[in-house]
Amino acid sequence: MTEDILKISDLSTRFFTSEGQVNAVERISLNVGEGEVFGIVGESGSGKSVTALSIVDLVESPGQITSGSIEYRNAELADALEADYPDAVDGEFVDVLSVPESVRRSLRGPSFSMIFQDPESSFNPSVTVGEQIAEAVEVQRRARADPRSTRARTQGVEYSLSGYLTSALLPSKRFVTTESKERAIELLEMVGIPDPVKRAEEYPHQYSGGMLQRAMIAQALAGEPDVLIADEPTTALDVTIQAQVLDILSELQREVGMTILLITHDLGVVARMCDRVGVMYAGEIVEQGTLADIFEENVHPYTAGLLGSVPVLDDVGGRLRPIEGNVPSLLDSEMGGGCYFADRCPKAMEECLRKPRTFDGPGSDDHVSMCYLADHPYEEGEALSDEHFESTGGDDR
Amino acid sequence: MLKFLIRRLLQGILVVWGVITVMFILRAVSPGDPAVLMAGEGADDEIIQRVREAEGLDEPLLSQYLDYLGSILVGDFGFSWEARSEVTAIVIRRIPATIELAVAATVVALVIAVPLGVISGTRRNEPADYGATLFSLLGISTPNFWLGLMLILVLGVWYGIPYPSIGTSSFSTGSFVVEYPSSIGLGLFDFPTGRREIGFTAAVSAVLFEQSLSELGAWLRHITLPALTLGTYFTALITRLTRSGMIDELGKPYVTSMEAKGLPRILILYKHTLRNTMIPIITVIGLQIGTLAGGAVITETVFNWPGLGLRLIDALNDRDWPVIQGIVIFIAVGFVVINIVVDALYNYLDPQVSES
Repeated sequence: MTEDILKISDLSTRFFTSEGQVNAVERISLNVGEGEVFGIVGESGSGKSVTALSIVDLVESPGQITSGSIEYRNAELADALEADYPDAVDGEFVDVLSVPESVRRSLRGPSFSMIFQDPESSFNPSVTVGEQIAEAVEVQRRARADPRSTRARTQGVEYSLSGYLTSALLPSKRFVTTESKERAIELLEMVGIPDPVKRAEEYPHQYSGGMLQRAMIAQALAGEPDVLIADEPTTALDVTIQAQVLDILSELQREVGMTILLITHDLGVVARMCDRVGVMYAGEIVEQGTLADIFEENVHPYTAGLLGSVPVLDDVGGRLRPIEGNVPSLLDSEMGGGCYFADRCPKAMEECLRKPRTFDGPGSDDHVSMCYLADHPYEEGEALSDEHFESTGGDDR
Repeated sequence: MLKFLIRRLLQGILVVWGVITVMFILRAVSPGDPAVLMAGEGADDEIIQRVREAEGLDEPLLSQYLDYLGSILVGDFGFSWEARSEVTAIVIRRIPATIELAVAATVVALVIAVPLGVISGTRRNEPADYGATLFSLLGISTPNFWLGLMLILVLGVWYGIPYPSIGTSSFSTGSFVVEYPSSIGLGLFDFPTGRREIGFTAAVSAVLFEQSLSELGAWLRHITLPALTLGTYFTALITRLTRSGMIDELGKPYVTSMEAKGLPRILILYKHTLRNTMIPIITVIGLQIGTLAGGAVITETVFNWPGLGLRLIDALNDRDWPVIQGIVIFIAVGFVVINIVVDALYNYLDPQVSES
C-alpha cells in the first residue's frame, strides 16, 4: 500500500437546525493512500456528501465541523506553516482543521478539488465554459507563480475589489489571462471534448449533460489537485455517458496518479473504480476495507444488504432483496445509544443495543467493521424479535 | 439580432401610433373649442371663424386625424397655441433638463443601491442588512412630492444651507426669506428664464475650456436635491431587488463549485453572482428610466426644474393641446427606445436569451 495522503480521524459534522441538532457525520475515520481511489458508498442521507464538503471546508451554515482532524500530507505546505501554526503541523502532515480559514481556502484548487453531482447547475449559466475553467487554471497559476509563493500558498490568491474594478475597465488586467484560456482548451481536449477551441467559447446550456460533466472534470483538474473529490459524478447522467465519464476518470487517475475520493451510492461504480471502500450508514462508516473485503468478506449486515439490493443481470429469476425500513433520522434527540442499524438488521442481538465498537474484519489488514458480528459468530437464537424494538429501542429511533 | 431589432422596432412604431391616436381622440372629446383657444382672449367671432378655417378645424375629424398623422411623419408637431412657437422647438429645448435629471437620479440610485444591495445580501441578518432593509422600506413608501418639499424645507429653509432649491441660483442664503416656504404652491413658482442658467454641457465645457470648476459646482448644487428626490424610490427598489437577487444567486450550486476551485471571493461575488443578479434588474432599471423621463412631472414641479414634466403641467393648465400632444408623444418614443435598448442589453448579458 502507498503512503497516506489524507488521514481523517474522528470527524464529526453537525447541523444546528431549528428542529434540533443533526449529526450528519458521526466520528468517522478513514485513511486515503496517495494515488488510490477510495470509495465512500451509502444510501441518500447517510452523510457522504457532507463528509466531502467537510474536507474542502464548504459545509454551509447551520452546519459545522464539531470535532476531529483532517490531516493532509504536503511537505511544502507543512514547511510553510510550521513556524506560524506549530500545533497544526505533524511531520509532513498538516491538520487542515487547525489552520485559519485563509489557509483552508488556499487549499481549494491546488490541493483538493471537487466534482459535483449535477453538472448543469454547477456552472454559472452566463459565463462561457472555457472562461470558467480558465479561472481555475488561473487560481492555480497565481498560487504557484507568486514570488511570495509561500504566502500565496498559505494566504490564498489575493484579489481585492479595486483589483476587480480595474480589471473590469482594462482588458489587460483581467483575472483570466490568455495563457490560462489556452490551458483551459487543452484541458477540454484532454477530457475528450470535440472541437475544444469552439466549445470553450460556448455557454453551459449549449453543452449536453455528459459533456458538461467532462468539462467539470477538466475544471477540477485545472488546479492539478493532489486529491480529487468526486461527489456522485455519474448520478445525473445516462448509463452510456456514465461509462464514458468513469473511463475518463480512471484514465486520468492512471496517467496522473491522482488520488480520488469517490462518493457514490452505486456499487457498480465502486466495483469498477475503487481500491478501497468505506460504507456509510447514518453518518458513520460502518465497514471499511479493500474492494475484496467489502464485496467478499463483509461482516456488517448493512453491507450485505446493500450488496443484496443491487440487481444482477445474469441472476435469472433471482429477486432483489431490499433492506427493510428506512434510513433513520439523524436528529440527535432521536438517535439511540446502540447500533443505528439494529432496528433494520435481520441479525440484531442484545449486544447491538450497546454502543458499537470497531472490530477488525476477517479480510485484509485494513478491514474494519463496526458490527459485533465481526468478532462473534452469529447464532440464530440470539436474534431479537421485532417486538423488542417496538417496545424499547424502536422508540428511540 | 437584426431580426430581433426590426421586430421590436415595428412593435415600437405600433405603440407610438397608438399613443398618437389616443391623444388625438382625447383632444377631440375634451371640452372647449380649439379655435377659441387659438384665437386668444377677446377675439370676435369672425376671427375665430377665420382661425377655424385656416387650421382646418371645420373639416371632418378623420381628415384632421390623417392630416395630423401626415404632419407628424414629416416631423411637424404644429404650433403652440399659447407660446406661439413650434412644438418641436419647445420639446427640444426642454429635453436636456429632463434627461439630465433622469440620468442623475439613475446614477444616484445605482451608485447607492447596488453596493448596498450586495452588502445587504451577503451579510444577511447582520446590522448592515437591517439598516439597508429599513432604508429601502422607507424609500419605497415615501412619496416624491413630500420628500422634495421636506428636503427644501429642512436643507433650504430651516438649516439655511446655501442651497438653490428652485431651478435657478436666485435663492440667496442665510437671509431667511420667510415668504419662501409660504410661496410653495404650483402656480407661485416662477421660472424667470425658461431655461436653466447652467446645463451639464455648459458646466463640462467650462471645466474643459476655462478650467473653472465653479460652473460644475453650481450645476451639482442645482441637481442634487431633485436627483435625490427622484432617485430615492428607485434606489430603494434596486436595493431590495439586488439584495434578494444576491441571496438567490449565492444559494445556487455553482457558487459552491466556484468556492471549490478556489476562486477569490470578490470574483465570485462581483464577476459571477452580481452579474447574474443584474440580468433581471436591468429590465427594471430600463422601465424605471422610462418612467423617470416621463414621470418626473412631480419632482420637476416641486423644484421648478425646467424639464418636459414642468412644461407638460404648464401646457395642461393652458389647454395648449399641440404641446401636450408633442410632449406625450416624445415621452412615448423615449420609453419605446429605452425598452429596445434594454432588451438588446439583456441579450448581451444573458446568453440563454440570445439563443432563442
